[in-house]
Amino acid sequence: MTRQIVIGLEVHLQLLTKTKLFCSCSTDYIGHTPNTNVCPVCLAVPGTLPLLNDGAVALASRMGLGLRCTIQNYSTFGRKNYFYADLAKAYQITQYELPVATKGYLDIECDERTKRVRIHHLHLEEDAGKLVHPTADGRLTGAAYSLVDYNRGGVPLTEVVSEPDISTPEEAKEYVVRLRQLARYLDVSDGEMESGSLRVDANISLSNADGSLGTRVEIKNMNSLKALERALEYEISRQNKVLDSGGRIVQETRLWDDAEGVTRSMRNKETASDYRYYPEMDLAPIVIGDEEIEGYKAGMPELPWEKRERFAKSFGLSGEEVSILTEQKELAAYYEAVAAAGAPTARAANWVRMEVLRVLNELGQDISDFLVKPEALAELVTKIENRELSSTIGKEILDLLAREEMTLDQALERTGARAGRMSGDALGELIRRIMSEQPDVVETIKSGQDKKGAKLKFLQGLVMKEARGQADPKETAGLLSKFFAESTK
Amino acid sequence: MELYELSAKEAALGVRTKKFSAVEVTEACLGRADKFEGSVNAVITMTREAALERAREIDRKIARGEDAGLLAGVPYFAKDNFCTRGTRTTCSSKILENWSPTYNASAINYMNNAGAVMMGKTNLDEFAMGSSTENSIIGPTKNPRDLSRVPGGSSGGSAAAVAAGYSPLALGTDTGGSVRQPACFCGVQGMKPSYGQVSRYGILAYASSLDQVSPLARTVEDLAISLEVLARPDPHDTTCDAYDRPSFTAALSLEDLKGKRIGVFEGFESSQMDADLYGALQTAAGYCRDAGASVEPMDLPIAVKYGVATYYVTALADASSKLACYDGIRYGSHLDGPTLNEMYVNTRTACFGEEVRRRIILGTCLLTEGFYQNYYGPALKVRQRMVDEFDELFERFDAYILPTSPSLPYLIGMKETDPNRLYLGDIFTVPISLGGLPGINLSMGFNADGLPLSVQLVGQRYFDAELLGIASVLERVMGKPGVAEPGVKKSTNTHKDEGAK
Repeated sequence: MTRQIVIGLEVHLQLLTKTKLFCSCSTDYIGHTPNTNVCPVCLAVPGTLPLLNDGAVALASRMGLGLRCTIQNYSTFGRKNYFYADLAKAYQITQYELPVATKGYLDIECDERTKRVRIHHLHLEEDAGKLVHPTADGRLTGAAYSLVDYNRGGVPLTEVVSEPDISTPEEAKEYVVRLRQLARYLDVSDGEMESGSLRVDANISLSNADGSLGTRVEIKNMNSLKALERALEYEISRQNKVLDSGGRIVQETRLWDDAEGVTRSMRNKETASDYRYYPEMDLAPIVIGDEEIEGYKAGMPELPWEKRERFAKSFGLSGEEVSILTEQKELAAYYEAVAAAGAPTARAANWVRMEVLRVLNELGQDISDFLVKPEALAELVTKIENRELSSTIGKEILDLLAREEMTLDQALERTGARAGRMSGDALGELIRRIMSEQPDVVETIKSGQDKKGAKLKFLQGLVMKEARGQADPKETAGLLSKFFAESTK
Repeated sequence: MELYELSAKEAALGVRTKKFSAVEVTEACLGRADKFEGSVNAVITMTREAALERAREIDRKIARGEDAGLLAGVPYFAKDNFCTRGTRTTCSSKILENWSPTYNASAINYMNNAGAVMMGKTNLDEFAMGSSTENSIIGPTKNPRDLSRVPGGSSGGSAAAVAAGYSPLALGTDTGGSVRQPACFCGVQGMKPSYGQVSRYGILAYASSLDQVSPLARTVEDLAISLEVLARPDPHDTTCDAYDRPSFTAALSLEDLKGKRIGVFEGFESSQMDADLYGALQTAAGYCRDAGASVEPMDLPIAVKYGVATYYVTALADASSKLACYDGIRYGSHLDGPTLNEMYVNTRTACFGEEVRRRIILGTCLLTEGFYQNYYGPALKVRQRMVDEFDELFERFDAYILPTSPSLPYLIGMKETDPNRLYLGDIFTVPISLGGLPGINLSMGFNADGLPLSVQLVGQRYFDAELLGIASVLERVMGKPGVAEPGVKKSTNTHKDEGAK
């Protein structure tokens, strides 16, 4: 029996503000000495009050608009009360009843069809600090004491809560990829799962035999896209097994153990925390006027799907090409600059998505670090298009440009490709020399034994190699046949 | 007239015009405290040296011809729940017994910038939870008008300091009556401004939506001057309204109450309150009429019936989360335990007093799933109904008068065994707090036993200046309270000490 899989995701994005959500401490907390990136407000020193960072509201609103949500004119904060050492106030300031943005959607592509995942809402909240356990494996078990580092406490997050519209682990992964892409396009978050600036919790249930909704299980601690996919796959098979054997699913929170590849029960409904939500009276409500919302709308950059459509249309590119080129907005911008500098769009697209990405990968660089100016790549690609250069030498030149500060002219010089296109007499002379250096091969061809033309190809290859790619393959082939015809007369 | 008897206005004027020095005023007030503190016990921490140094600084400023501020050389005390940089701030609690903040509350900065001289930190009920200033690490404060009686609370130390002439001014906080009621018990003027008038930054919170910094003084004019200094937008507190306040002192030029519509509260059985205080209310109504006001009876059925319940649900729920930060990890007293939870339990059980623990536990229960829907949710709705009730009322009235407290100051140790009765004493003050309205306790002299009488004057939210104007007209008739000579009243005729029933 196949049961329908119902998945909803809660994605936390760390917002790219300079300062924390309610104080002036930096959001750049990684790698700092513990408890140096703190102030009376984020340490919850008595008497202090939170002050809302308007930049965080702007970013959350942008993300909300990107997800086609309604931005609320009026939203409020609440207190989520629980005692834990990493939470200085013993409550987290979050949005509960009235979040900043509601009811939107994100379209994802899966199995070559588009699926719409509805967004329930998006809200602002502060991050907690971190507990450090002085054990070899860094786990709480066996630790004689624990240390608290509040450097991260108060860093702004936006939580995007989807409706349970996701039906497979693959869709879940695709949803996170698209959400992350959107967040990066909007400069809302850098969305790095490894560093924790993007965190995903999943709610998953399998429908009952009669089609009604099953019991929901929450899964936490998935620190990569791979982990998300694996955890969901594991959980589907676990729940299926339980149900197949006549058991029932318990409503609970489970932690994904990446090393063991299993989920483990963390707490069930009976032991779940009652967060005693309470309105945050220390903060005035967030009021965003219609004009302000219009301002945010006007300031929205081109969104990933808009860019995809435009690239396909104006550059005549295929769906797959467009997908790769627009994956990162920086790469897309680079490609556009190459095209704008006059490069033939199809060949430029090929070069950017194949060669540029290859070189970046080899060098471990981002496109923002790339030394090759779009204009230089445009010229290079144009020369290849015009057959002034072969692809082989073009790649060699690109490798050079990417590794050293130099102009295209200098690179052409360095590779010896500077002399320009070899043809006519010069090419003929080179072919004659090579033929004279390969008498056996020439004899074989002349005697008609080169039935498949392999020997002729071999000669042609030698010519091209000697010509450093500057010979036109067609002309070379033409000259070769001409010389053989002459010599056999 | 002795220097300690001067009002803040007179003291500042004298200092600025070099009639006497700030040091002389400060010394006179310190002398007063030296003389009576042994019996009154109003002060937790005296900052004598810092006060004298500050007074010398003010004098030097004046000698140089510089502007020393509106409150130049005026001594004041602050309740010990205002953060004071480098001076311990205990909230009368064992949990903060040895805690010194690294920053000043905004109100303290405003006072200091205006040239006022902080003398020390006054006693309060632990975390401002109480109305008798008996629940404190330093023991109860006594009422300077009669040392056998409580000064009211929770700002009892500040009220007692002003009544005993330790200073012409003091700062308190009023959450549900914590300044108006002790002002009533100690026979001084005290004002809770509209919610949002004064920054709460640096106030150790009890309930965020109700707490308001509130001055105590012996004249209405000094209350107005205090608001002039204190009421302003503060970038550190977004619940402090960001608009330019009108001049509070200019409003005092009001000559009479002609054209004013004053309501007199009649929604409470006269038998349910102390006869002298009921009489004071009627007298005050007469004064209003004499001053030219049209006076009509009024009632607050919702506020009277549900006010106290709504207040406690609201305040305790808030307090349970605001006091959760005292976990013994980052600051304050700390007791160890084998696990994190036991550490919390040990610290909070040993270092919070009984009343604070009771309120935290009640507040926690109120927010628990199931209870929230039955208590906190309805309380929020009733609070809105009360605001509506007030709004309707202010279509008919510019201000209204009602008692501050249903009872005269009671004997020390009398009521603390019955928390329910203690709570009922708040019946006239808490609705005003829930409505965010400004309220002034106006002294009206004494009864036959020498115990202070007063009335509460309440205005529309944000109409603090207008309310001060009306108060100043009435004060001219009622008289300004003088400095008490602390002692035990040997009255044969003790009033019935039962309070509200």
